Amino acid sequence: MNIYKPELVEIKDIIVETPDIKTFRLQFKDPQLQNNFTFKAGQFAEYSVFGEGECTFCIASSPTRLEFLECSFKMYGKVTNALNRLKVGDTMGLRGPYGNYFPVEEMKGKNVVFIAGGIGLAPVRCAIWNVFDMRSEFKDVTIIYGARTVADLVYKHEIEEWKSMKDVKTIITVDPGGETSDWKGEIGFVPTIVEKVAPQSDNSVAIICGPPIMIKYTLPVMLKLGFKEENILTTLENRMKCGLGKCGRCNIGSVYVCKDGPVFSYLQLKELPEDF
Amino acid sequence: MKNFVITREQLANLASKLLGENWTVISPSQNGSKYLKIKDAKDLIIDSALKPTDISMKEHFFPKSETLFFFKRKKDDYELIDAPGSEAKTVIFGAKPCDASAIPVLSKVFNWDYKDEFFNKRVENTVIIGLACKFEDENCFCTSVGLSPLAENGSDIFLIPLSDDKYFMKPITDKGRDFIAANETFISEADNISEPINDFSTPQKRFSTENVKEWLDKNFESKFWFNAGETCIGCAQCAYVCPTCHCFDIVDEDCYSCGRRVKNWDSCQFELFTKHASGHNPREIQGKRYRQRVSHKFKYYKDRFDELLCTGCGRCTRGCPVSIDIGLILEDINSHFLETINVNN
Repeated sequence: MNIYKPELVEIKDIIVETPDIKTFRLQFKDPQLQNNFTFKAGQFAEYSVFGEGECTFCIASSPTRLEFLECSFKMYGKVTNALNRLKVGDTMGLRGPYGNYFPVEEMKGKNVVFIAGGIGLAPVRCAIWNVFDMRSEFKDVTIIYGARTVADLVYKHEIEEWKSMKDVKTIITVDPGGETSDWKGEIGFVPTIVEKVAPQSDNSVAIICGPPIMIKYTLPVMLKLGFKEENILTTLENRMKCGLGKCGRCNIGSVYVCKDGPVFSYLQLKELPEDF
Repeated sequence: MKNFVITREQLANLASKLLGENWTVISPSQNGSKYLKIKDAKDLIIDSALKPTDISMKEHFFPKSETLFFFKRKKDDYELIDAPGSEAKTVIFGAKPCDASAIPVLSKVFNWDYKDEFFNKRVENTVIIGLACKFEDENCFCTSVGLSPLAENGSDIFLIPLSDDKYFMKPITDKGRDFIAANETFISEADNISEPINDFSTPQKRFSTENVKEWLDKNFESKFWFNAGETCIGCAQCAYVCPTCHCFDIVDEDCYSCGRRVKNWDSCQFELFTKHASGHNPREIQGKRYRQRVSHKFKYYKDRFDELLCTGCGRCTRGCPVSIDIGLILEDINSHFLETINVNN
C-alpha cells in the first residue's frame, strides 16, 4: 500500500466564511470509501491540490455527521491559494484521518467549555457538533468565540444556531475596534471575555484553539478559574508534510505532533521543551 | 554456522554473472563520490582501506527524489497512477559498516506505524555485502556510537580480508545465506580458517553516548546550542551526506495535463523546514536548528526507537564548509556532562 497516495474527493459545496477563509464540503468519489470513512473529533487530514501540493488541516465537520467531510482554510501560501481557486465539482485529494483526538467519551457527564479564536474555531466546531449530537450525555455547554473583526468570524450561520439553542451558552466577541455599528456581541479579547464569563471549572473540560497569543493569555485565566491542567485541551498546529511520523518536521523534543497529537492537554504541554 | 572464503577474482566473476542476469550491481565509485551502479565488473571496488564515499549509501534505499505517484488530468477529474516500483534485484558490494548499519536504523522510522513500502521494497530486493573497514581519520567515531570496523549490523553477508585478494565471507541473514547458496560456484567453504578479526585495530572511543543523552535530557535551553549554531551557515550538506538523516519534503511537479508527487530529501537545518503558514517559526534561528539535529540523533531517536541516529561515519564533518566537527561537539557535551557530575558531587 502506498501510504502517500491520497484518495480522490469531490468538492460538493463551498462556503465563503470571511474574505480569506473558505469551507469545503467534500465527498469521496468512491461511494464505498465514503460509506466506510470514520474519524474522531480533533483528527487531521492532508488535503491535495494536484500540481500544487498538500497541506494539513483538522477535519472541521463532526464524526456524527458523515455525509460530508468539511475543512476550513485560510489563504496563506501556495496550496491554500490553489485551494481557493477550486470550484464546486472539482476534484482534489485527501489522506487521513491522522493523529489523536479529543477525549469526547471521557468528557461525558461533565461540563464542556469551548474557547476559540479566528479560524481556530474549525477543530473546535468539530467537537461542538459532536457534543451537540449527543447533548444529553454532557452537562453545561459554553462556547466562547472571538475574532479580530465581525467580518473575520467564521461559521456565522451556525453561531446564530448555537445562540438560539436553549441548553448552550454562546458568547461571541470581537477585538476592540473590530465591532460594527450594529454589533450586539461582546467587545474584548478572548482571555478577557473568558474571565468575565467565568465558566464553572468543577467537573469541567475545556477545549481551546486559536492563535498562539490567544492561547498563551487564556491559559492563566483558566488556571485562575480553577480548571485542572489535565482538563484544558488544545491542538498544536506544527508544520507537517507526511502526517505519518516520518518526514521529521513536526516534532517537539521526542514528541511527534502528527502521531502523539495534535490534541494535547496543558499538563502535557508543560512537560514539552519550548520548541513550538 | 558455515563460513566461506572468496577471492577478489571470484567476487568480480560473481558481479559479472549477476550483471548478466540483470541484477543491479552497486559498489563504491572509483572517484570516491558515492555508491554507484556499475555496468562492468572491472569497476567493482572492494577495498577495506577506502575512505567513506562523499555521499552515503542511503540513496539506494531512500532516493534523493522519489516519485510517490503520477497524476493525470482528465477534464474535471484526475487519475492517480502508481509509480513503477523498483523491482530490480540489487546487490551492493563493499558496503562500509557505517553505511550498512544505517539501514536497520532507518527501517524503524519508515515502519513504526505506517509502512513506507518504497523503502521496504528496496531493502527487500537488496543484498548488502558489507566489508570490514581499515580506514580511520580524525573524523571517524564509529566505536563511540556502539559500532566498529567489524560491525555486521545491516549487512546480509560480511567480508573480512584474509589477504590482499582473499576474503573471509560470513553469512549474516537468511537472505545472505540464500545468496551464497545460489552462487556457491564462486565461493569456497572456509574449512580450517577462522575469522581474522585480530588484524583490526579498534579506534578509541571519543565520548559516551549515555553521557551525551543524559546531558541532552536536561540542557535543551543551554547557551551551548547558540554558540555551536553561530558558526553554522545552514547549508544542510551534513544531512545530505548523512547515512541516517531521513527528513523529507513532499512536493508536486506539474506540467499541463500530468505531473507527479515527489518525496525529496529535506533538512532540519533549513529555516523553511518548520516555518508555519502564519510566519511563526518554532526554530527561527540556526542555533535551535543545530540543537534539533544533534538532539534528534542522540536523544529523540533513542527515546522513540531505542537507536542512535548516527553511525559515526564522519561525513558531516569532512564535508562541512565551515568546519563544524560533530565529533568535537559530542566530546564537548560529554565533558560538560562530566563537569556537572563533578560540580554536583
